[in-house]
Amino acid sequence: MNVAFLNPFVEAARDVFLAETQLDVIRGDISLETSAFTADDVTVLISLVGDVRGVVMLGMSVETGLALVERMMSQSFATFDRLAQSGVAELGNVITGRASVKLEEAGFEADISPPTMVRGKGVTVSSLEFQRLKVPLMNDLGEINIQLALEVSPIESKTENHIPIVAPETSDPNRSA
Amino acid sequence: MNVKFLNPFIDAVFEVLNAETKLEMERGALSLESDSFVTADVTVLISLVGQVEGSVFYGMSTSMALGLVTRMMGEPYTQFDSLAQSGIAELGNVITGRASIKLAEAGYESTISPPTLIEGSDAAISTLDRPRLVVPLESELGDLKIHLALRERLDVHKTAAELRTPAAPGLA
Repeated sequence: MNVAFLNPFVEAARDVFLAETQLDVIRGDISLETSAFTADDVTVLISLVGDVRGVVMLGMSVETGLALVERMMSQSFATFDRLAQSGVAELGNVITGRASVKLEEAGFEADISPPTMVRGKGVTVSSLEFQRLKVPLMNDLGEINIQLALEVSPIESKTENHIPIVAPETSDPNRSA
Repeated sequence: MNVKFLNPFIDAVFEVLNAETKLEMERGALSLESDSFVTADVTVLISLVGQVEGSVFYGMSTSMALGLVTRMMGEPYTQFDSLAQSGIAELGNVITGRASIKLAEAGYESTISPPTLIEGSDAAISTLDRPRLVVPLESELGDLKIHLALRERLDVHKTAAELRTPAAPGLA
């Protein structure tokens, strides 16, 4: 995980929050994680492919999600319905899109996938061998966790999608056979 | 959801499972869903970006996942540990990679993302405005459900952040 990927996302998130909610965000402590994480109530996943590849996840509580869409759309939401979901997913889309423009300026061209939304606290999400950089962003609406599991693409994978299964080199000592 | 994106995945899944696990799969009835779906124990998520874009999900029970990894690796797995997780994610990767080659032959170039693994049942996954074509596959080890939420590329995503408001006519 290259720390150079971090700032484009933090800047993009700040720009987008200022534009959409007129609220600034405060960045909390950054942590590097390798294990699977337990999802927040709402997680938006967007993949990147190109010079940099991996997945970006935005996690928040339902309350924060609702507060965000209420502020963005200037209407009240009683439940986290389809419109609210679509609003939060779109926020993820715009932040990631904007971050990808900034990444491109830094020399890493990447395209982003459409968003997927996972709801349900307690499921675990694993980016497998990708380390994740976790950045909490806070404002009056609540806390939004941005998790970046990104790497510079290996050259061959830019043009070649088929990756053959490689036999595992080491066996896990914890595994019961 | 364009049905022509379906066959490349079905062909790829049969070819890969046959090559890697010698497992006979039988296809059940297709369905088109637009609401969010409730996850099975293990879900592999891979996105496609290119002329065809969206997400593909491979959902299965833990016992199906263990059965598949046991056959792939040729040694028994009783726990869904990190090696088993990596094996299942890789299986999704190989199937999707192979399907993407077939899609490219049909005129839809795409690049696939690295896999993400979602563990835990009863989470709701939504592909928002993209309906999903659901393909259930049955085998003696258990069921594998493939969800395809794909569409032809709309040129709005990345550029959405760059869009400028058009100048109002008459204002210099």
